[in-house]
Amino acid sequence: MGPFGIRLGVFWALFVASVRMFVRNRAAVFFSLFLPLIIMLIFGVLNFEGGTTIQLGLVDDADTEMSRSLVSAIAEVESFEVTTGDSDEMQADLKSGDLEIALVIPAGWGHGGDVQPLTAFAASGARQDAQVGALILNSIVFRFAAGSIDLPAVMVVVKQVAARDLGYIDFLVPGIVGMTVMQLGLFSVAFGFVQLKRTGALRRLFATPTSPVYFLGAQVASRLIIASFQVAILFGVGIWFGLQMFGDYASLAVIVLLGSVIFLAVGFAIAGWAKNEDQAAPVANLVSLPMMFLSGVFFPRDAMPDFLASVTGYMPLTYVNEALRAIVNDGAGLASLGPQLLGMGVWAVITFVLAVRLFRWE
Amino acid sequence: MATSSARPIISARDLHKRYGALQAVDGVGFEVAEGEVFGILGPNGAGKTTTLEMIEGMRTIDSGSAIVDGIDVSRDPRAVKARIGIQLQASSFFDELNLVELLELFGHLYGRQVDAAKLLADVELTDKARSQVRTLSGGQKQRFSIAAALVNEPRVLFLDEPTTGLDPQARRHLWGLVRQIRDRGHTVVLTTHYMEEAEELCDRVAIMDRGRIIALDTPAKLVGSLLGRGFTKERVERLANLEDVFLDLTGHDLREED
Repeated sequence: MGPFGIRLGVFWALFVASVRMFVRNRAAVFFSLFLPLIIMLIFGVLNFEGGTTIQLGLVDDADTEMSRSLVSAIAEVESFEVTTGDSDEMQADLKSGDLEIALVIPAGWGHGGDVQPLTAFAASGARQDAQVGALILNSIVFRFAAGSIDLPAVMVVVKQVAARDLGYIDFLVPGIVGMTVMQLGLFSVAFGFVQLKRTGALRRLFATPTSPVYFLGAQVASRLIIASFQVAILFGVGIWFGLQMFGDYASLAVIVLLGSVIFLAVGFAIAGWAKNEDQAAPVANLVSLPMMFLSGVFFPRDAMPDFLASVTGYMPLTYVNEALRAIVNDGAGLASLGPQLLGMGVWAVITFVLAVRLFRWE
Repeated sequence: MATSSARPIISARDLHKRYGALQAVDGVGFEVAEGEVFGILGPNGAGKTTTLEMIEGMRTIDSGSAIVDGIDVSRDPRAVKARIGIQLQASSFFDELNLVELLELFGHLYGRQVDAAKLLADVELTDKARSQVRTLSGGQKQRFSIAAALVNEPRVLFLDEPTTGLDPQARRHLWGLVRQIRDRGHTVVLTTHYMEEAEELCDRVAIMDRGRIIALDTPAKLVGSLLGRGFTKERVERLANLEDVFLDLTGHDLREED
């Protein structure tokens, strides 16, 4: 066995030991594997998607007096959340699941008593909401056209648009995956390593001719493998709950690994700086808690005040979650994730430098 | 046991180590012959551990030199570590691994396949092979720690206060183990603050205080020179002491296996 063979053997032995140590550590397994799973089960069962408003898109190509008052009448209906825009935007939003139904008022409608039936496009995935929406639209338009001659029986013709039906589970799983990646990197390293430092187990490694850098490498490698397993499990459970995966798993793996690298570096920075678990815990929580709630793990970030949304948009987990959702929900490839990849790249560099700066073996 | 002709396996010269305002080690030098059991004695804070750790390559040397088995520690600490076995004072191991897994892992760190069963049998821990270190008693922990320090068949075994905190039975048991290790041809360097331990085990002892060696010789000669200076104990030497009474009453058997 040559020197390279020996080194590979050392690395492998340390890697196996690291995996064993993680799997046998009940607290680590609970917090990084079962907790996200339980959170997912709870939120998956609660299912927050049962909102009562119908997402309606309005396209007013007529821009006549009549069409404008029709638009404002529709906007008054409380069941609708109205978005206006042009026809192409509406089609795109329907397909992506952001809209459930869109009404198009063609050019010339309402001009000189022309009240041809209107066309509404319904997202195939949101059948129920689209049907209710079409009924409401029909009655409003009917009332509007009531004064005209040659009244058609049906005022709104519904056309189906093939669209994704995104449920809360589709929103939740990428968020939980992001959160798990963060928790695993931060906590398994911050606590595990600080403990090894405090008890002197790390020092015992110094007494051997093997550089402790191998141990560091083995820890990182083992965490990356464990993170991949966890993501696979979360995805499996998610798919059982009806999760739809529109993107490819290779892109997903890249984001998971890049995210893990960022949070492992944060974990090592904390572990390197802290003298014991009591010092590491508050810092790790201080880092993780804001991101848990402000990086869009459980709820969309749209609901946040603008200032908060823009500030928290720079948090590492926000980039990770955005990228994961783009891949899972929209089928985005890495090529279209430039801003998120850039954000993660910058964070990876910052956290790596921090880890190197703060890390102390003893 | 000391062999006079051969090159010393350890040669420390004028070692210094300072921590801030504290001169922990202040010009320590000695030689250890192959096959010897060499003791460093001294009260807490005398600089025993720091001296040991500089020779082991665990701490940098401020000034002076240490040569172990022909290798300069400052120049190549890894090569020294590959040839020695180290039992750290209060050393701990990975909690989630059992004794066999730990020994095999440590073997790999030296690039070796080890016979874990044999190593455990040598320290009488065969029946604990699948246990974790935290479940062991104090004496068992120290014995395991010695087994872990022997995975690379070291030329020199360093033991830092191996019997501190052990009961008399466990201490005597460990003494027997150290003698066996010496008989298998390993050189042993140990620190202790128990005088009877040094007298029982060591071929030669260095007595340290405030970072310096204040005496270095065989236990018999150190006692002889003290007596030669006209020293007499105030009380008449008794033929037995309280420890003898204790051991007579409680026996020499180890209690930790209960």
